[in-house]
Amino acid sequence: MDSLITSARPQWGAPRRRGAAPLTMTATRCCVCDSDDAAPMAVGEDFEYRTSPDYFLAMQCRRCGLVYLNPRPSNETLAQIYPPDYHAFEFSAEAFGFVYRVRRWLEARRLLAYCRGLPAQARILDVGCGDGFHLDLLRQYGQPDWQLEGVDPSPLAATAAQRRGLQVHHGTVQTADLPSASYDLAFMIATIEHVDDPVAVVRAVRSRLKPGGRLVIVTDNTATLDFALFKRRHWGGYHFPRHWNLFNPATIRALASRVEMDLESLGTLVSPVNWVYSIRNSLVDWGAPAWLINLFSLKSTLALGVFTIVDMGFQTAGRGALLRVVLRRP
Amino acid sequence: MANFEANSDCRAPVAVLGAGLAGLAAAASLRRRGQSVIVYEAGKAIAGLAQSFHDDDGFTYDFGAHFITNRLAAAVGIGDRCRTVRYYGESVHIHGRTYGYPFGLLGNPRYLRDGLASRLRPADPHLVNRSAADWFRYTYGRALADEVALPLLEAWSGAPAAELSAAVGNKLQGGIAQALYLKLAAKLSGRAVANGYSHEMPEHPQLWHVYPEGGLGTLCAQLAQGLESAIHLETPVEAILVENEQVQAVRVNGQEQPVSAVISTAPCPLLARLVKGSDRVAAMARFRYRPMVFVNLRLEGRGLLPDTVLWLPEAKFPTFRLTETPLSMPWLAPEGKTLITVDIGCQVGDAIWSMDDESLGQFCLDHLEPLIPDIRRRYLGARALKTPIAYPVYLNEYEGDRQRFEAGTGIAGLYSLGRNGEFAHILMEDIYWRTQDQTRALSSPPASNAPASTLALVN
Repeated sequence: MDSLITSARPQWGAPRRRGAAPLTMTATRCCVCDSDDAAPMAVGEDFEYRTSPDYFLAMQCRRCGLVYLNPRPSNETLAQIYPPDYHAFEFSAEAFGFVYRVRRWLEARRLLAYCRGLPAQARILDVGCGDGFHLDLLRQYGQPDWQLEGVDPSPLAATAAQRRGLQVHHGTVQTADLPSASYDLAFMIATIEHVDDPVAVVRAVRSRLKPGGRLVIVTDNTATLDFALFKRRHWGGYHFPRHWNLFNPATIRALASRVEMDLESLGTLVSPVNWVYSIRNSLVDWGAPAWLINLFSLKSTLALGVFTIVDMGFQTAGRGALLRVVLRRP
Repeated sequence: MANFEANSDCRAPVAVLGAGLAGLAAAASLRRRGQSVIVYEAGKAIAGLAQSFHDDDGFTYDFGAHFITNRLAAAVGIGDRCRTVRYYGESVHIHGRTYGYPFGLLGNPRYLRDGLASRLRPADPHLVNRSAADWFRYTYGRALADEVALPLLEAWSGAPAAELSAAVGNKLQGGIAQALYLKLAAKLSGRAVANGYSHEMPEHPQLWHVYPEGGLGTLCAQLAQGLESAIHLETPVEAILVENEQVQAVRVNGQEQPVSAVISTAPCPLLARLVKGSDRVAAMARFRYRPMVFVNLRLEGRGLLPDTVLWLPEAKFPTFRLTETPLSMPWLAPEGKTLITVDIGCQVGDAIWSMDDESLGQFCLDHLEPLIPDIRRRYLGARALKTPIAYPVYLNEYEGDRQRFEAGTGIAGLYSLGRNGEFAHILMEDIYWRTQDQTRALSSPPASNAPASTLALVN
C-alpha cells in the first residue's frame, strides 16, 4: 500500500492516498429511534485504508444509545471508501495464511450451529456476502442439498464470489431480484454496520424469509471494554468511515422490535479484531514505526491469539467483542 | 418574498439574523430539517467575527478565535482542509518574571499558599457569588486574584471586578486534575489538546485544535453551502414584530416578511431595539460589550514571546494579552517572520479607537520594549482590527436580567443564539452544539405535555 501514500507535509496530519479527494457527506439521524438528538462520541480518520483526507464524527444517540457516523459518506462514494484492496473482497489464503485457515475452521463451526434444524433443501441467503467466504464454508461443511445464495452491492465482491462458483446476486437486498417468503435462513455477518438504513435492510430480509425463517446478525458490540477504552478515536469497530451504525444489546433489541421480528436469542461472540485494530489505529495515528504497527494486524498470529484469549474472558461475562442476534419472522 | 405568503399551507420561513458562525449553523441545521430559512446579514460578507484577512506578504490576520477543535471540524465536514495545531501554551508575565499558566503560577509560594488556603476554607456561597472579585478571591486565593486574575479581568471587560458578576468566574472553572491530565496528553501526543474550550461536550486527549486552510471563514463557507439563495447580505432587519408575545414578522427594506420564528445572533442591546410590540427583552438594551482594538505587529524573527499567549496583568502595559500566533500555527506568517497580536480594550471613539494603524504600531512598540528589547529593529509594520463588540461585559447591575434572558426571551418564536446573542456561551464549539440543540427543539413538534408556546413554531 506504500505506493499509494504521498509524502504529505507533516503538519497536514496523516499521509493521504494519492489523489484521495474529500468525500461528499450526508447528514443523518438515528436509524433505531429516528431522533437526531445525539452527542459527539469520536473524531476519527480512515486509519486503515486512507481513502479520504476527511475527519469523521461518530455520534451517540441520546435517546437509545446507538452509535452512528454523522455526517456520513453519501452512497455515491462507496467505490471510493471500499478500495479494490479492501479485505472483504480479497481475503484469500495466500494473503492471510495460517490465520485464515484457523478463522475458516472457527467460522464454519459457528455457522453450522445456526443451521441446526434446517429442513432438507433449505434455502440460505448471505446478505452482504463479500467475496463469499461464509457461503464457501457452508458449501464445504454443510449439507449438499442446501441452496446457497449471496447478495452484495459491490461488483468487486460479487465477481470474486462468482469466481468461486457461488450464486451471488449483485445489488442490495432491497433492489436485487430475490423471491419473497422463500428463505429458511439469512445471515448478516459484519453487514448491518455497513448499510445506510439497517431498518429498511432488515425489513427487506424479513420479507424474503419464510414465516418462521430466521435471520442471524453478527456485528460489533459497543457494550465492551475495548469500546470504553478506545471510543474517543481509535476503536477498531469504527472502521472509519465504513461502519455507519454500531449497536449494543439494547439498540439491537430496539431494532428487532421496530422491524417486528421476534428475538430468538441475543448473545456475544469472541473476536480479537477490534482489540487488535484499536491498538493498531492508535499506533498509526501516533506515527509509530512500521515494525510496531505490523505486530497488530490480521496477519499477526501473536496479537490475534493474545486478544482471542483476552476476549474469551469478556465473553464469559457476556461482553464479547461481537453481538450475535437471532431474529425470527413470526 | 411574496411566494411565502401566497402558499398558506407552507409554514412561514424562520428568519435568522446574522450570517456568522451561530447564524449559519442555525440556518444549515434548520434547512436540513426541512424548514425554510432566510438569513439576514447587515454586513457585506458572511462569517462575522470568524473572518480572516490575508496580506500580500504572506501574513494572515484572524479576528477573534484562531483555531477550532477537530470535533467541530468533523461535525461541519471540513476536516480535509484542516491542519493539526501541534502546540498551544499560555504564560503570565508579572514582577519581571514569566510563569507558565496555570500551573507555573503555583511555583510562586504566595500564590500557592493563598490558593491552598482558599481551597481548604469552606466558603459561604452567598459571599463567593456576590461579584467576580469575590469569586476569584475565594476560589484562587487573594494573592493570585488581586495580582493576576482581577487585573486581567478588568482590562478585558473595562469594568471594576467588584461590579462584575460571579458568572464570569464560572466560565473559567475547570478541574485541576482534568487540566493536568490534558496537558500531559498534549505533551505526549504532540497535539494542542483542547483544555477549557468546550463546556457543552466533554474534553479528552483525542480532542485537539486544528486550523482550517484559509482561516475560520472556511468553516462558515462550508455551513453556507446550499444556503446561498437564502442569505441576504447588506440587508439589516429593521424590526421584529411581535403580537401577544408571539413573533409575527420581520421588517426588512421597509417591507414586512411573515415568519414562523426569529433566531437572532445580533448583540442583545440591538435585539432589544429591534423588537416592537413587546417589552419582554427591553431590559437587554442596557447590556454592554467591550470594544477592542487588535493590533497585529509584523516582526522579523520567531519565538519572541515565551508562549503562544502572554498575559500581562500589570497596569503599566496598555494591553492585557499578547499572542504570537505563529508559535502554534507557523503558517500564519512567512518563514523567519512572526506576528504578535496586541489586545487593547477601549471605548468606541476614544484615543485608541481613533488611532491609525501606524500610530497604533508605534504605541505598541513603545510599551513592549521592556519585554522584547530589540522590537524596533524587528518591526515591519502593523495592521489593526477593531470591533465594538469583542466581549460581553457581565455587570452585576443587569445580572438578573441576563439570567432570565439566558433561560429564554419570553417571546414565543424569538430565540437569541450565539456568542453575542446569548450573552453567555463564548466558546465557539459550544455555540455550535447549543445551536444544534436549539434548532432541534425549534423544528420538532412539541411534546404533548410541554408548553407549546416555548417550543413550537407558529403556524
